[in-house]
Amino acid sequence: MLQDLLQNTLDGVALGASYALLAVGFTLIFGVLRRVNLSYGPAIMFGAYCATWTYLNFQAGLLVLGIVTVAGAVLAGVYVERLCFAPHRQGSAIAAMVASFALWMQLEEAATLALPKHLYAFPALYEGDPLALGPLSLRIESLAMLGAAGAISALLWTILYRTRFGLAVRAIIDSPTAASLAGINLPRVSLLVFALASAIGGVAGYLIVASHGQVTPMLGMWATLKGLLAMMLGGLGSLPGAVVGGLALGLIEAHSQWFLGPQARDLVAYLLLFALLAARPAWMTRWTSTRSAS
Amino acid sequence: MAALLAIKDLVTAYGKIEALKGVTLEVQDESITCLLGPNGAGKTTLMFTTAGILRPRRGSIHFAGKDITARPPHSIVASGIALVPENRLVFPHMSVLENLRAGAYQRSGNAGINADIERLMQRFPRLRERAAQDAGTLSGGEQQMLAVARALMSRPRLLLMDEPSLGLAPLVLEEIFRIIAELRRDGTTIFLVEQNAHMALKVAQHFYLMEQGRVTFSGNPGSLAEDEVISRAYLGTVKQ
Repeated sequence: MLQDLLQNTLDGVALGASYALLAVGFTLIFGVLRRVNLSYGPAIMFGAYCATWTYLNFQAGLLVLGIVTVAGAVLAGVYVERLCFAPHRQGSAIAAMVASFALWMQLEEAATLALPKHLYAFPALYEGDPLALGPLSLRIESLAMLGAAGAISALLWTILYRTRFGLAVRAIIDSPTAASLAGINLPRVSLLVFALASAIGGVAGYLIVASHGQVTPMLGMWATLKGLLAMMLGGLGSLPGAVVGGLALGLIEAHSQWFLGPQARDLVAYLLLFALLAARPAWMTRWTSTRSAS
Repeated sequence: MAALLAIKDLVTAYGKIEALKGVTLEVQDESITCLLGPNGAGKTTLMFTTAGILRPRRGSIHFAGKDITARPPHSIVASGIALVPENRLVFPHMSVLENLRAGAYQRSGNAGINADIERLMQRFPRLRERAAQDAGTLSGGEQQMLAVARALMSRPRLLLMDEPSLGLAPLVLEEIFRIIAELRRDGTTIFLVEQNAHMALKVAQHFYLMEQGRVTFSGNPGSLAEDEVISRAYLGTVKQ
């Protein structure tokens, strides 16, 4: 029993690390633009499909596939920003969100047009046995995901707190009007943030498909849903919150799957989100309420 | 002598409602010009349009002889204009020091930026005491000092100030106006929006009165019309 609990916790943290990465990318975009980008997941899926296509045609190695995934996701992300978000910078948030839904469909169509089967094999990250930690086991893929999540969080922190670009990003998150008045070029920083967020999502997407060993067009919806859910659990708009929210979501899923069965897995996460949104505890609204005052 | 800032027939609208209905005015180099008027007259709209946050529907804005109409805000900062916005708008979750660095975003050369930070901290000693603190934790007066200092970090030729005295205690208010006079002596041109007409007219060389989106009066402090202007600037406040 205790061993199952520990094993579930370990699996949950590994799963949560991938959710955390998705949520961090989502949060960057949401924080800077105050817009929900529904095409975030589909852009990642587009990157994974670019890699699958490269694999099928050139049998490229893992490193090349990783680079192609990230590059494809960044390309799609920048495309979404130019088409959906740049024109609505001062306009309606709903218009931008609906436009991003339209591009979701477009990216999915493009992917299925190029590779029409429902499922494609993706070269596995690692073929050997999982690591044994006493009675527990940890997949090498999970270890890679944890390492990537840690490294990307540290890199992102360095960018945000140690560079001029990071200063601009934080200024825009605090107050877009004041940031403009300080001479920060909002359109350019927004575009770069989109590219950065898509690159982070691309790394997460690559590790996810490589550990599953397969890719489907559903990856887009899956990544958007998990990222959005983890972002909201973490309090909507705080980067450390996104990491915590992602890990919490992974743990909730792993444990509820064990205790209540795979059907109940998603149900528990949604119920928890519903309860949180209904109660709206202070830590969940603090960040957004200070912003609307300025 | 050509004016440093020349605004001509400026119209800015929110949807169908015109907040500026053809504003024409000038700000002379190395002077303090004050814009008075009741709430809702369009003063903040004029400031935001000049700084590029709002786009005018018609009319033109010339700065130092160049047409800057409808340029984006970061390009207007680059041309030498900085706005201290109403309600200060500091970056609440960034430290005082980071707020100042953000103000110098377009400048390069760390040595010059650090020297300016040092100079401003001498002028505003409270900011040095609070350098590492989040700006959101400062008092209203301290935030106003920070907003002014942040604007000065871009080394503007023209400083726009939108109601710097709003909500400040009398002592802090006097300090703000002392600083405004000092800045002008150091060669910065100032275009000031104020509700506090008495204080503003003490430092200004020229003033405009704005009512319902139009400039309705202009003159120099000390002229016979001063009392009437003050009462008209306040009447709007009483009405609301």
